Amino acid sequence: MKLAKKECVVMLLAGGQGSRLGELTKKIAKPSVPFGGKYRIIDFPLSNCVNSGLDTIGVLTQYQPLVLNSYIGDGKSWDLDRMNGGIQILPPYQRVGDSEWYSGTANAIYQNIDFIDMYDPEYVLILSGDHIYKMDYSLMINYHKEKNADCTISVIDVPLKEASRFGILSSDGDGRIVNFEEKPKKPKSTNASMGIYVFNWNKLKEYLEIDDKNHGSTKDFGKDVIPLMLNKGEKLYSYEFKGYWKDVGTIDSLWQANMDLLGDSGFDLSGNWVIYSRHAERPPQYISGNSSVKNSIVSEGAVIFGTVENSIIFSGVNIGEGAVVRDSVVMADVEIKENSVINNSIIDEAVVIGPNLKIGTPKDANYGITVIPRESVINNMQEV
Amino acid sequence: MNALGIIFSDMQDWSMTELASHRSLAAVPFGGRYRLIDFPLSNMVNSGMNKICVITRSNYRSLMEHIGSGKDWDLSRKKGGILIFPPYAMGENHGLFQGRLDALKRVLDYISSSKEKYVIMSDCDMIYNINYNDVIRYHEEKNSDITAVYIKVPVEKKCSVHKILYEFDSEGRADDVLVYPVTSGVHNVGLNTWVMNKDFLESVIYDAIARNYKDFSHDVLASKVSSLRIYGYEYDGYFAHIDSLQSYYDNSLGLLNKDNLQKLFYSKTGPIYTKTKDSSPTNYCKDANVKNSLIASGCTIEGTVENSIIFRGVRIGKNAVVKNSIIMQHGVIGENARLDSIITDTYAQVTNDRVLLGYSNCPFFIKKFSVV
Repeated sequence: MKLAKKECVVMLLAGGQGSRLGELTKKIAKPSVPFGGKYRIIDFPLSNCVNSGLDTIGVLTQYQPLVLNSYIGDGKSWDLDRMNGGIQILPPYQRVGDSEWYSGTANAIYQNIDFIDMYDPEYVLILSGDHIYKMDYSLMINYHKEKNADCTISVIDVPLKEASRFGILSSDGDGRIVNFEEKPKKPKSTNASMGIYVFNWNKLKEYLEIDDKNHGSTKDFGKDVIPLMLNKGEKLYSYEFKGYWKDVGTIDSLWQANMDLLGDSGFDLSGNWVIYSRHAERPPQYISGNSSVKNSIVSEGAVIFGTVENSIIFSGVNIGEGAVVRDSVVMADVEIKENSVINNSIIDEAVVIGPNLKIGTPKDANYGITVIPRESVINNMQEV
Repeated sequence: MNALGIIFSDMQDWSMTELASHRSLAAVPFGGRYRLIDFPLSNMVNSGMNKICVITRSNYRSLMEHIGSGKDWDLSRKKGGILIFPPYAMGENHGLFQGRLDALKRVLDYISSSKEKYVIMSDCDMIYNINYNDVIRYHEEKNSDITAVYIKVPVEKKCSVHKILYEFDSEGRADDVLVYPVTSGVHNVGLNTWVMNKDFLESVIYDAIARNYKDFSHDVLASKVSSLRIYGYEYDGYFAHIDSLQSYYDNSLGLLNKDNLQKLFYSKTGPIYTKTKDSSPTNYCKDANVKNSLIASGCTIEGTVENSIIFRGVRIGKNAVVKNSIIMQHGVIGENARLDSIITDTYAQVTNDRVLLGYSNCPFFIKKFSVV
């Protein structure tokens, strides 16, 4: 089947479990983890796409996709309910011969070659659903065209001590990549791959097919496909991104990224680069006469009778009289009853706490972040 | 639900000159993030109606912008959906309509071609949260020609002149209808909402054409009260009538009452829908001091806000103090400014250090786009 040709098709990898987020991703895929008061992580790459003029997006799902599927719906919240293109969810499917789960990032794209071919694109943009950032992909695609590259990898400068968590690459003066190592023990540079790739589609297809026949391969972009292309002398360029970018793959980094919205990280959710999201219809937030809300972000439908400091309060949260929430992320529809005290915690959706309970330890005590799993009902301290 | 909805966007805009001078009454902002039409629209959608038309008279641009395709009310449908009727410029029924019957006459083709059994007509000046299925059940039960929804509340002379009052016999059938009377005391106040069988409404319109009737309240309700079976359905939930700047102000601040908030926004009938704006959550800065207020999303608050309604995208500057006020969307209140009992229309700006004081029985109004 041939559809209207698209210059660039976006493939968004959203099938990972995100096991380092523990309880938060027990029932949902990482891209659907709530963030920033009213968003989910996937809103960031999706909104970046729409704001960059990209309207054809395949979302590759595998692990716990139900929340993500219903969240995306027909894509109208991101203006992606389009006549041509739009958003499409792509789970693995059965076919004649071999049928298998997505066994790696590259394999997930390999299994969807037919989907991409329907749009006959020049370029494919590969994104992942676990980063918080605002980025104009059209600038990166322009750079890719200017360099006449086969593949362009977006990079960001990271602190040296964190560099071994990322794919690290070194480039020559023109930006051409000369070396690429996935999670190196001794990083040669601090240029970390952001997991954002622009490929010439014909070139990528060729290498996906080679990679698929290689039985030793882990079918991963960073570990297999990129090194292979580099070895074969293809033109790989790095595209430097300057701006806020945060991997939210761990509890600590997720908490920190939320807190960055309050500080002077330079990242905020207002402004012209709108982050779109899908959310239930709620009345405005109500702040009562005895409450105090300082240095915090509060979303629609929240009803606050207590004290909130340095926290992110999602839609529909109820905070009772005398309750105190500090340095915490409180997700949608949580109820914190009277006189409960929450410190340094992430409270997942629809949790009920209290009354008169203490959750978490003060930030200064350095005991780390306390996570309360979704829909738990906590009535006494033994359960914490 | 087998009913066609007809919403009149500005049947009463004569009474709200400040807020409805440049926009249809239906598009007047209310409650932090809504427009008045959101309330009748949400009532209809929550009752399961999916074919609704809006009859507008003038200044309907902001209303059309608000409604768009109707998708925020789930009314962007292949079958049914929402349709806006602006006035015609040419032909038999050109110009502005001169009353509710005159308006209905102009959309007779649309009504006749609809397949629905019932018609529910509603205005935009009354705010309430109802399930129309209950009203239709009552309408059937009483076999009435017209079922008027009413609420029993005390009224004063200055506002009774904007209301329709009903008197009922022991069976609940209306035996007197007073249109815009001067009176006070506890009365059955009509919510400007009526249920009729569609066939019956058509016959009323034909009759109006034959006799040149223009006004539904006088020419049908009041003058035919003895020949028609007009029944009243009593509603007892949240109710507000917006018929003046003062009532707009009082009812807006009335939302800060927890009971009202609960009844209007969290009732069983369902949520109030409005246009989605994708604004970010509201940012409370370190020195923010907010008490007893309703705050919409997308605001940045650095100062003090008390007993106020703050719409979407408002900025309250450092050390600014806003009390007993209504700041509509995209308002900017400068540093050290002090406001008490003020209503600012959309995009108004109060610059640094200004002091604006109204009084609770005389709120001061700042026009759209003005800079103080």
